[in-house]
Parts: sequence; C-alpha cells; structure tokens
Amino acid sequence: MNCTRRNFLIGGSTTLFLSGFFPKISFASMQKKNLIIISLRGGMDGLTAVPVIGDKRLKKLRKKLILEDVLKLNSDFGLHPKLEIFHQLWKDDKAAFVHATNIPYTGRSHFDGQNLMETGAHIPYKEKTGWLGRGLLASDIVGKGLAISLPMPLLLRGVPQNNNFFPSPDFVETKLIDQIYDEFKGDHNELIKSTLDTIRQRPLSMQIATDSEDRKKLALEAAKQLKDQSGPRVAVFELDGFDTHAAQGGVDGAHADELEEVNEIVKILYENLGSAFDNTLILTLTEFGRTIKQNGGYGTEHGYGSAILMAGGLLKKSQVYTDWPGLKKKELFEGRDLNSTIDSRAVYNSAMSICFNKDPEFLRREVFWGDDLPNLTEDLFKI
Amino acid sequence: MSLNFYRRVAFGLSPSDELPQDPLSWALNQLNSVPDFLWKGSMPTEKELRKKYGEWVYGDREVLRKKFKNDKNAYRKAKDELRIETGERYFELNEHAIRHYQTKYGTQPVFERFWLFWGNHFAISEKDFLAEFSTGPYQREIIRPNMVKTFEEMVQAVTTSWCMIHHLDNSESFGPNSKKGMEWRETINENHARELLELHTVSPRAGYTQEDVIQLAYIMTGWCHKWNNKDLETADIWFDQEMHQKGDKVVLGKKYKNDAKRELAKVIHDLATHPMCIKFVSTKLCRHFITDEPTKEMIDPVIEAWNRSNGNLIEIHKAVVTQAFKYNSSTHKFHPPEIWLMQLSRMFDLNIPLSAEKMNYTFKLKPTNRQKQLSWILREIGNSPYRAKQPNGWSDFEVDWVSPELLLRRFWFASVELPYLVNSQNKSHDFILRCLKNNFEDHEKMAAHIYQFRFGTTDKDLGRKYGIICNLPGVLKV
Repeated sequence: MNCTRRNFLIGGSTTLFLSGFFPKISFASMQKKNLIIISLRGGMDGLTAVPVIGDKRLKKLRKKLILEDVLKLNSDFGLHPKLEIFHQLWKDDKAAFVHATNIPYTGRSHFDGQNLMETGAHIPYKEKTGWLGRGLLASDIVGKGLAISLPMPLLLRGVPQNNNFFPSPDFVETKLIDQIYDEFKGDHNELIKSTLDTIRQRPLSMQIATDSEDRKKLALEAAKQLKDQSGPRVAVFELDGFDTHAAQGGVDGAHADELEEVNEIVKILYENLGSAFDNTLILTLTEFGRTIKQNGGYGTEHGYGSAILMAGGLLKKSQVYTDWPGLKKKELFEGRDLNSTIDSRAVYNSAMSICFNKDPEFLRREVFWGDDLPNLTEDLFKI
Repeated sequence: MSLNFYRRVAFGLSPSDELPQDPLSWALNQLNSVPDFLWKGSMPTEKELRKKYGEWVYGDREVLRKKFKNDKNAYRKAKDELRIETGERYFELNEHAIRHYQTKYGTQPVFERFWLFWGNHFAISEKDFLAEFSTGPYQREIIRPNMVKTFEEMVQAVTTSWCMIHHLDNSESFGPNSKKGMEWRETINENHARELLELHTVSPRAGYTQEDVIQLAYIMTGWCHKWNNKDLETADIWFDQEMHQKGDKVVLGKKYKNDAKRELAKVIHDLATHPMCIKFVSTKLCRHFITDEPTKEMIDPVIEAWNRSNGNLIEIHKAVVTQAFKYNSSTHKFHPPEIWLMQLSRMFDLNIPLSAEKMNYTFKLKPTNRQKQLSWILREIGNSPYRAKQPNGWSDFEVDWVSPELLLRRFWFASVELPYLVNSQNKSHDFILRCLKNNFEDHEKMAAHIYQFRFGTTDKDLGRKYGIICNLPGVLKV
C-alpha cells in the first residue's frame, strides 16, 4: 500500500514527459533546489508582521501597538515596515505570506509548542526527530542539511550527517580529530560517532574561523554554501526573542527588532545567492501567534494563529494566502487569539515536495504519519 | 566502585583531594549544610548590585540619552564611560569567578552540583541587564540558602524575588478589577504565572488549562517592584494591593478565597506539593545526575524521599545521590560544557578562575582581557551560565550538546586554550599521569594516547596531550 500511489504518480509524470507536455519538471529537478527555514522562537505575532488593514477591532484592542507607515501589500493586508526586503521581492513575485496558520497546537506553552513545530507531531516530546530531518531521509537526501546555530536543531534531526556552521575562534588540528574519532570507534555512542564522521568530512570551506556573534557573516557564509551546486540543500536559521510580553512596540520596539533580523537574513541570502535564489524557498516557522489584545505591559500574550513569511524564486506569485477567520470575538480562538485555518504543516510538506522533488502525498505519509494535510504545491509554489 | 562517581555527582578529584574511604557517605555528608563561599574578593549583595543596575539604567535612559540626543558619537562615548563606572561589563565576570572558585576548591562539591542544578531549574534567561548585574547574586542569595529547606520554601523565595519577577514581567500584571487596573484600564501579564506552572512546579503534564493560567496570574497580581523615579524598575519587591485582582480564584480545581497577599503562599503550597510537581522535578534531578531517560525504578525512591520528608531538599538530594551511586556503573551521562570545564579545572588544577586579587576592579578602566577570559571561554564552548536563551534554562539532554561545532569547540578549547591555563609547576608529564590516576580506572590506557608526547613541555605539546585526554569518551561522559 505504501508505494502504490507513489508509483502511480511517477508513472504518470513519465507519461507526460514522454508525450512532450511537461518537460520542465524533469529539467528543473536536475537543478539543486534549496529549502531554508528560519525558526522564530518565542511566538511571532502574525498581526504585527502582516497586519490586516482597517480592522476597527484590532485598532481598539491594540491601542499602543498600532503600526503606522505599514507597507501596502493588497487591499486587505499590509507589511511591517522593517520587512522591507519582502516588500521589494513582493513586487517581483518572489515574496508571499500564508496567514492565519499554525501547527495544530493550542496549548500556549513555548516549550511544548517549539517541540511540536520542529517534530510536526501532536504530543510534545514524543518524537525525537524533526519533520525536516525525516523529509530529507525519506527523499534520500543525506548529508545536505546545514544549521546556522551551535546546537543541532531538533527540526533537522532524524537524518544523519547534518552539519552546522557556527565557527569557533580558531582551528583544530586534523590529527586530533582523527585521534578522538579512533577512540570513539569502540564506544556505544552512535550520536557522537556520526557527528565525528561529519566533522571529518566537512568541506575545507567550512573550516574557517569567523565571528559567530555576527549574524550577517553567518548568513553570508550560508549563502555561499547554498550557492554551491554540491553544497547543502537545506539550511536552518535560529532566531529567538519573539516572546514580547512587554514593550512589544509598533513600528519600533521589541517585535520590530526581531523582524528586522529576519529581514537582514533574507536580504543577505537574496543578495548573495544570485541566480540560485530562483531555485530557493525561504519559510519562517514559529510555535504560535500572539493575542489580539495588548496586555498590562503593552505586550501580547501567547496565542494561536500566526503567519508564515515566504521568499524565493520557487514561489508561484506574490500573494497573501489565507482563509481569513476574522477578528470578531466569536471568530477568535477561545475569544482571544487569531484562529488558525491552515495547518502550517501542509505548507511545509508542500515546500519539501517542491524542493526535494517528491510527491507531497508520499511525504505526508512518510513525514507526518499520513495526517490530513492538503497539497498546496499548486497554490503556493512553481511546479 | 568506579572513580567516575566523583565526576558524576561532583567535579572529580583535584591533585590535593584525598581519595574518600566510603564514596557514598562522602557524597551524602556534603548535603546537610550550606557551605560558605571561599571567594576572598568582592562579593556584593543582590541589593547592592541592583543599585548598580539602577544607576546604569537611570544614567543611560534618563541622563545620557537626553543630554546627548543630538550627538550620537558623544552619547556612545559617555555610555562607555558609564559602563565602566557602574561595572556593567564587570560584575558578570566576577560572578563567574566566584562560581568557578567554589566548584574548583569547595569542600562540598556535591552540594555545588545541586546548586548549579537549581540555578538552572529556576533559570533566569538572557534579558535586559539581568546577566550583567543580577543572575549571579540571585543564585547566591535566593537559590543557595534555600537548598537546605523545603522545595516549597525555595519556590516561595524564587517567586517573590526581584530577579524572577523582573525576568517574567510580573510587575506589568494588573488585576483588571483592581483599583489601578480599572483606573488605567490595564490587565494581566500571564508570563510569570505560566512559567510558575510549567517550568517551576507542576509542568504541562498536570493538565492545567488556559483558565488556570489566568486565575494564577490573578493571584500573582500586585507582586511587583515599587517603582520610583530614581531606581526605576530596580526598586524592591512589594505587594501592591491596588493592583491585586479582587475576588476568589480557582486554580487546578481548588478555590482560593479573596485574601490579598496571602493567596500566593497558599497556591504555591499546593503547587509545590502537587504529585505532578514531585514527579516532574524528581525526573529532572535524575536526568541531571543519572541519565537522560531515567527509568521509573531510578525515579521512584526520589519521589518516596520527597513524600516522606515533606519536600525537604536535603533528603531529596540524598536520595538522588544514592540513586546515582546505585546506577553509577550501569548508566551514562554526557556532561554539558560548563560542568566539563569545571571538572577539567578541578582535576588538572587549571589556572581558572583568576585570583580574587587579579579580579579586583577599580571602576576606572575597562575589565582586562585576563579578567574576561573565563567568561569568554564559557561563551565559546556554548554554555555561558546566565545567558540561556529561554526561561527553561540550559538543556540536560545529550542531543542538545552534540553537534559538529559544539564538539569542535571542546576540541579547540582543550588543544588551543587550555595549555595557557596550566600552572607552571604542573607542566610535567608526571603531573598529568597523577591526575589521570586519581580520576580514572583506565588511566593507563589513557596515558598510552599521550605517551608519544611525554618529553614535550611546550604549549603546543601540552595542547596535543590535553586535546585528546579531555575529549576521550570517558571524559566527555561518565
């Protein structure tokens, strides 16, 4: 049962190719496609990033957080002014947004939520691997994951030989690495063994010392790696600080500072990927959105629905893709949060399908236990 | 009995430590009292440091920003001077030195390991200027003295401490029906209430709801810093009746009658003695000292000790140590970078932290590179203790500490930086062999790895020896 549909689809597309209708799929699949995920920890406020325009209720509930000078997207939605690169790319059909979306988790705990946004599961701490790691494994793409962080994000775990890039201040002699490697050969610890394997196979280009405090340098290096045809196909960036319970601010303020960092990363990737940007998808990931109403400290509380910010040449068109649930009290989740009408895992599943050249139906089964996730590839991405 | 027990529950044996006759009693006897700090240098109180925090914030926000609002460069210069005057870049370095001095020379190292555990359980994450001024003294003054009391007393002290209240925004939480809440049309901030449930006591497994969080936040309203124009947010904590939500509250099915400031102690009593809290915290303790996924058999005796002693932390700690002893040779635990560094420092008598004399600061010049060294190493190996990114503190799972870069940073530290920390009288090959013999059963096998470098005494030779020794499987793990 497991491979019937997959075989059918492969058969299907071959027929199309042979009959000359759809040569592009096969040609495009030869190009390396990059999938870049930016984790936004703390709960990104979708209504600050992509505010709905002219909603009287939002204005009333967020008196101190209202944005002026929003960048215009369409008649319904604007964009936070700090997300300037997305606005620029929007004009070129290379930026889009999914709104009122979230993982199916309503518990409002950061740590349970972050665990689930990475595992893609329903019960916190149950799964030990990330959906992206499982997706790579199911697609037979091994050793092509790159994390721009010091620990290996849970999101990427589940496929061996992932690398990370967050260099120390100086080099380590290869001989020492070999010696330690030999000592671990007889050890029971598979994780350290496979990590040492990865270290020994690291490309020379990654053995540089740089200032890892400088996010710009890291993003620049990631762009170089991703641009390389034999380099990584997946990159994960980590940002935190979105948990703005106090002094969240509007155009400026704590949330705006974080959005500015997202903007910076996307800008550097765009400017340095060159033509590889056309074969790239960048998507954000967060554990939940924030309450509609401001709280006692001019911040917001943990909520539910949020937004996914997307950029890259593999997007179908500039759009705010949403099944807008509305902001009236009865339309809110538990009377306080923007609802989620799109399971964000459907977006990620579809994105993996595009970047890994795999049938979304197959990935849905292999990665998300066959959960009911609609195929959004045609709506969101170039196929 | 395996020598690694001394690293499992402490930091290994230093060259001057005597080998204990009875390892288990050695460990258990360290838990009855709070050891004094050995640090001879400056050790300001939490309140004194908060005063400095206030001077820094007030000076920057209320004085310099206004004075130099049209001159960015002059502002930057004046701000750097203010940093020096208030010790903004210094106190965290000094706190790291106090902490590492204690774990290196302390006569109750097992107690110190529990101190590190609780500081991380009730973590203060990187926010505002807490790491710079407050997290160190919070761990010294709020966490440490409560480690010989009950868990409930610990939670009470932590929950009403300035540091935790500032960290989790409780000063911004207003009861919507309180006097000030009505006047200013303000409402609650759920942050502290949620983490009190989730991280500090019962954990989400207790099955509380959003309404429970709200009700607990109501109980907590009014616990805040007493704002004034000079200290700003750094003034003492008090209970402001005018911010407190009126009426009865219900948390986890139990009703708390309208009783002003006394409501908090009552609800903390119930949370701190809740079976889910006992299970959650006992599991965390076993995870820290025994293995990442402790079994029911490992945890149950800790829960029993908890119940038997009504949450007395001395008894709980003893039960954990007893279990760690019992499972010492049948389990593995990978240590996070800071504990690894502390162990290396104690076992090989490394020259960190800097002496109290050299840590002295005059508030006239920037801290020196030597003064910054320990904190810099901690950051580079990925484990700066007061700078966890989120309120759940640093992870205790091996998978979170194993990645190519994290391992490379340990290799880098041991082979490149560590040689500079070897005391001049300790550079002989014999010295390393002696340290290995003190701490590892298979010391001869370990020594074989560095035999080829036995005549070398240069930093490069030392780097080759320590580079491999410190990263052997039996050193990274117990």
